[in-house]
Amino acid sequence: MIAGLYLPGDSVIHQLSAPVKLSLMVVMGLALVLVDHIFVMVSVAITTGFVFSVLAGLGFARLWLATRPLLIWVLFIALAQFWFVTAEAAVLVSLRLVTLVWVAALVTYTTRLSEMSDVLVAICSVFRPLGVNPERISFLIALTIRLIPSVFEIVRDVRDVQKARGLERSYTAMFVPVLTRLLREADALSDALVARGFERWGDQQ
Amino acid sequence: MISVDHVTVRLQGRVVLDDVALSLTERRIGVIGDNGSGKSTLAKLLNGLLLPDEGTVTVDGFDTRSHGKEVRSRVGFLFQNPDNQIVMPTVAEDLALGLKPLRLEAERVRQCVSETLERFALSHMADRSAHLLSGGEKQLVALAGVMISEPDILVCDEPTTLLDRRNAALVMKTIAGLSCMVITVTHHVEHLDGFDRVLVIDEGRVAHDGTPDQAIPSYLESLS
Ligand SMILES: Nc1ncnc2c1ncn2[C@@H]1O[C@H](COP(=O)(O)OP(=O)(O)O)[C@@H](O)[C@H]1O
Ligand SMILES: [Mg+2]
Repeated sequence: MIAGLYLPGDSVIHQLSAPVKLSLMVVMGLALVLVDHIFVMVSVAITTGFVFSVLAGLGFARLWLATRPLLIWVLFIALAQFWFVTAEAAVLVSLRLVTLVWVAALVTYTTRLSEMSDVLVAICSVFRPLGVNPERISFLIALTIRLIPSVFEIVRDVRDVQKARGLERSYTAMFVPVLTRLLREADALSDALVARGFERWGDQQ
Repeated sequence: MISVDHVTVRLQGRVVLDDVALSLTERRIGVIGDNGSGKSTLAKLLNGLLLPDEGTVTVDGFDTRSHGKEVRSRVGFLFQNPDNQIVMPTVAEDLALGLKPLRLEAERVRQCVSETLERFALSHMADRSAHLLSGGEKQLVALAGVMISEPDILVCDEPTTLLDRRNAALVMKTIAGLSCMVITVTHHVEHLDGFDRVLVIDEGRVAHDGTPDQAIPSYLESLS
C-alpha cells in the first residue's frame, strides 16, 4: 500500500534538516568518486557505517539489510577490477559503491518523505514562471513511490487467486485481473485526492 | 445545508439515481439500502465527486457543478477503504496533507496536526507507518485527515464495512462525537441509533425517508 522508508528517531542525523542532508549526500557522492587512496576510502567507509548504525541509531542489522542486495554486483565488479586492474582497485571500487549506497540509505531512513518533497518543491519553484506547479510535481513523485508496493500487492493477490485455480503459469490469466484492479484502485485514489482538496493545493491565496 | 434538486444520474446508459429530491439539514442522517441501489452514487453527488446528469446539487448555495472547490472545502468525505484515502507514509504526514489547501505556515501545521492527533487519540502513532496500522486505526487516521480541515459536513460511504465489530463500533463512536453534520451510508443499522433521519434507497429512488424508528423497520421488512 504505502511505501514508508522513514524510520522515526531522534538522533542527531534525524534532526538535521532535509536540505542539509541532501546537500551533504551530493557532496559525499562527489567526494567518494574523487577518493583514490585506499586508506582514506577505508576510513570513510568505516565512518559512514558508524554514522549509519550507531550515530543515527539504525543498527548493524539494517546496515546489512541495505548492503545485501548489492553484494552480488559488488562481487562481480570487484572480480573484474581484480582481474583487469589490481587488488587495490577492486577494494577501492567495492568500498566506494557500498559507501554511496549507505549514504543514500542513511538519508532515506532518517528523512520524512514530506521533508524531501518540500526540498523538491523549493527546487521546482524556479520553474514556477513557466507554469510549473511545484506542489503537484513533488506530490506526483511521492504518490509514485507510494503506489509501487500496491502494484506488487495486487500482483501477489491475483497470483494467489490464479494459483488456487491452477492457472499459475498463465500470464494472460494474470493480466486482466491485475489491470482491472489497478484501474479501479487508481479511480478510488483519484476520488480520494479530489475529496481531500488536491485541486486546491496550487491555489494562490 | 445540502439541497438535491430533482437529480438523475446515468452511468453507462443506466439510470442509477432517478429524479431524487432531498433537502438535507439534520445533524445526523443515515443512508441504507441494498448493494447497487445507488447509495455511493448519492454520497458522491454531495461533494461533487460525481455530477448529476439532470438537476442540481447545492451546498450552502454553492452548485457542485460550478463551485466544486468551494463545495469540497465544506464537505469532507470518508471512503469505505482507508487504504485508498491515506496517501502519505506516516500518520502525521497524512494528516498534514489535509491542511495543504489552507497554505498555513509550517509551525501552524505542526500544531494543528498534533491537536488533531490528540483529539482522535492517535498521538502515540504520529510517526508510525500508516499502512502497518490495523483496519480500525487506519479508518480513524483517514477520518482525522478529513476532519483536520474542519469541514461543516462529513459524508461517509460505508466507513465500517471492512472493519470487525469492535473497530466498527469504535469508528462509529468517534463519528458520533463529531460536532459537524454527518451523512453516513451504512449496512450496520444498529449504528443508526440516535440519528435524526434515515433514507432508504432502492433502485435509485428514495423508498423511505423518516426517523430511524420508521425507516429501519420498513427496510428490514422489505428484506424478508
Ligand atoms: N462508474 C460506473 N459506471 C457504470 N455503472 C456504475 C458505476 N458506478 C456504479 N455503477 C452502477 O450504479 C449502480 C449503483 O451503484 P452504487 O451507487 O455504487 O451502489 P451502492 O453504493 O448502493 O452499492 C450499480 O448498479 C452500479 O453497478
Ligand atoms: Mg457503495
